Amino acid sequence: MQPDFAELNRFLLDCPPFDQLSSEQRQWAAGQIKAAYLNEHNVDELFSAHSPALYIVRSGGFDLLAPDGTLIERLESHDLFGFPSLLTGRDVVNKLKVIEDGIVYILSAATFDQLRQHSRAFEHYFIRAHEQRLLSQQGQRSAPFSPQNAPSSPATPDFSRAEGRAALSNASGDSLQCLVGEVVTRAPVGLPSTATIQEAAQRMRDEKISSVLVVDEGKLVGILTDRDLRNRVVAQGLDYNIHVNAVMTQAPATVRGGQTLLDALTLMTQENIHHIPVLDDNEQPLGMLTNTDLMRQQKSEPVMLISALNKAPTRAALVQEAQHIPEYMHRFGLRLNDAAAVGRLLASLTDTMTRKLIDFYEREHGVAPAAYVWLAFGSQGREDQTLSSDQDNGLLLANELNEQQLAWFAGLGDYVCEGLAECGVPKCPGNIMASNPDCRRTKAGWLERFTSWTESPTPKALMYCQIFFDSRNVRGSKRLYQAYREDVAKLGKSEFFLGNLARLQANVQVPLGLFNRFRGTESGKDSDLIDIKRHGLALINDIVRLYSLHAGLTEPRTLTRLQLLQDSKLLNRKDNQALAEAWQFLTQLRLQHQLAVWGTAKPKNALDPDELSTLTRRQLKSAFRILKDCQQGVSLKFGRSG
Amino acid sequence: MAFWQRLQTYWRRRQQLRKSWRAQRYIALDLETSGLDPKSDQVLAIGWVTIRPPVLDYASGQYFVTQAQPELKQSPVVHGLVQKDFAAAEAPEEALKQLAHELEGAVLVCHHVQFDWQFLQRFAKAHGVRLQPLAKYDTLTFEAHRLKQQQHHIARGSLTLKACRERFRLPEYTAHHAFSDALACGELFLAQAYQYAGNADAPLKELLK
Repeated sequence: MQPDFAELNRFLLDCPPFDQLSSEQRQWAAGQIKAAYLNEHNVDELFSAHSPALYIVRSGGFDLLAPDGTLIERLESHDLFGFPSLLTGRDVVNKLKVIEDGIVYILSAATFDQLRQHSRAFEHYFIRAHEQRLLSQQGQRSAPFSPQNAPSSPATPDFSRAEGRAALSNASGDSLQCLVGEVVTRAPVGLPSTATIQEAAQRMRDEKISSVLVVDEGKLVGILTDRDLRNRVVAQGLDYNIHVNAVMTQAPATVRGGQTLLDALTLMTQENIHHIPVLDDNEQPLGMLTNTDLMRQQKSEPVMLISALNKAPTRAALVQEAQHIPEYMHRFGLRLNDAAAVGRLLASLTDTMTRKLIDFYEREHGVAPAAYVWLAFGSQGREDQTLSSDQDNGLLLANELNEQQLAWFAGLGDYVCEGLAECGVPKCPGNIMASNPDCRRTKAGWLERFTSWTESPTPKALMYCQIFFDSRNVRGSKRLYQAYREDVAKLGKSEFFLGNLARLQANVQVPLGLFNRFRGTESGKDSDLIDIKRHGLALINDIVRLYSLHAGLTEPRTLTRLQLLQDSKLLNRKDNQALAEAWQFLTQLRLQHQLAVWGTAKPKNALDPDELSTLTRRQLKSAFRILKDCQQGVSLKFGRSG
Repeated sequence: MAFWQRLQTYWRRRQQLRKSWRAQRYIALDLETSGLDPKSDQVLAIGWVTIRPPVLDYASGQYFVTQAQPELKQSPVVHGLVQKDFAAAEAPEEALKQLAHELEGAVLVCHHVQFDWQFLQRFAKAHGVRLQPLAKYDTLTFEAHRLKQQQHHIARGSLTLKACRERFRLPEYTAHHAFSDALACGELFLAQAYQYAGNADAPLKELLK
């Protein structure tokens, strides 16, 4: 009689998409499997005798090579191969090279087709895998950790974004994941810019609203608020009959209807505004989102957290409120669909604390004696901050300051960096902080610094100068910052500099396999863990920064940089999308990991591949393959010059 | 007549042993028994699977519970057998006849083959079946030789099926069951044979030495 194949069944249950089959289907499939002991002596013979077939690696390690000998994939336990030929009917052209002998299961074409006909999930998995879309959003609905190693939280991570998010928002417990467009139900109230101030005020009274959109020919040109009427009209004693365009805020910050409330909250916190116009994808006004709308989401912890930080009356109170951030982020992160939002939110919290600290300093030492900009660099600048990110900041100062003025800014740097550290944002070990005189410079001073990097870089300087290109203006003169940032962008376009960066990036080793002995990276030798920051996220940031520098972009955020690079001639759309997907996947994986090792001494950026589910391991390998490809692309495009 | 038949069988066997080990059929087998003494203890279950190097075909897998009323000396949990399995027991003659047929011209592969073979022979005889494999291959003996040749001190416990498989980095199996142990033994055999002979067409008899 037929055995129950318990061992094989257990394996298949942990080997997507076989876990999607019914138990009868799986049992049937198990009975069709042939197991082969694969080694260098029989690999070619076996491959040609059975192909086309689906191969499932049970043990050992094998390299799948293209006909020209380039490595397509390093295959380890639970990896699948051979299915592209089954799906397309094309001949098998790839070759297999044995790294370590092992057992490979063979499933015949007939069996594969049977399963495909009887299980849609099975079929879909292979179609997605064949199109190399395992990382795209629909493909990511999996728990990243295997069941026995799952973090002890009730979270079922779900990577789906816009699609289905509204429906999920209630179930997943945080209304900040609602889309802005769903909250703004009231039709936009707009006036032409030629309306008088009095007309505007009357309209606001009639509509019972605290702000109004200024719209010319269907296009948003400004916004007028209660506060503007007080500060810019009444306080100044202006005539009520002049046009609103004289007192409105021009070209205000906006959100799209398709963004989440959390995105809007982050932006409003960063810009320190209480009203934000909402536009549709065609730039048409949809309405206004106000603080009150957000405050209705009272149960939402981020809203309470931000308002508590903003209301803190003293430095001591701010520090005390900030102690709650890790706990809030932990609870909040567990419910969140969009891991990137956590990085944005953390950056905006750091922005808020920075501004509050600047306010406290000004209260004690008088207002700033000259124009300046508080600069955020690195992860705060890119808005991909984590709870373990340290401070990276600096000051951009006006020219020709006297000693007393310089002393004021030196004091500011010390005060704010010290305060941030007390609030839980660790000091920068590399001393990239405004408390360091080297990081308080005039525009010319900063440009001199950038020039030394772009024109005669030492290898070490090259490595650490990159984060200075990921900057944002946290507080201070917009004009000063813009002039500075545009000049920095010009320096960053140097071909010599880009060539050096490209060569630096080519040295970063991307893991081929996940398990230690198949990884092929130097750093992996002593460790069973994979550093997904160093070998993953940081490398994507570096690659995307390189393309952005070349294009002269001033935007610091990696995903937005990729959006702006959509029409780039150097970076094709496929690679662009693949980089974005890999970045999102790794960001999500890192967040999950950081939540799982919460409160322990375990590394924050390094994962144990044994603790990942099979699907996540395949996705991680897929992300590394994308990186490897893009890394080679960078070498080809930029590596030659300099 | 009996003499001529025996001579013919002997001749055929000799010819077959000279052929490449890769051209042979192997039956990897494991027994579950009620104890360690073939004279007094019983066979409770048999599992086996056919191997044609390098392929082990799950469709050929067989598993029989052979004893309706076990006298267990050990805990039944060790064998992975519970009362309902025994209730499903079939007449052992069927299983033995099928095994006899499959063993004809094939090599019997076990981990500690002497143990299984003694039990099997007695068991088959009691049911009037004769088992005549082409040859017997012991994964345990092979491993003991291999380790000695590498001048390893053979530590206690280093020759269990699990320990032998670990040295070849074969997957860890958790189930203890006649069929999964037969599979585990069969995979170990393939790993040993390929490491020993590679792709050379070594005659079977060389592998059996």
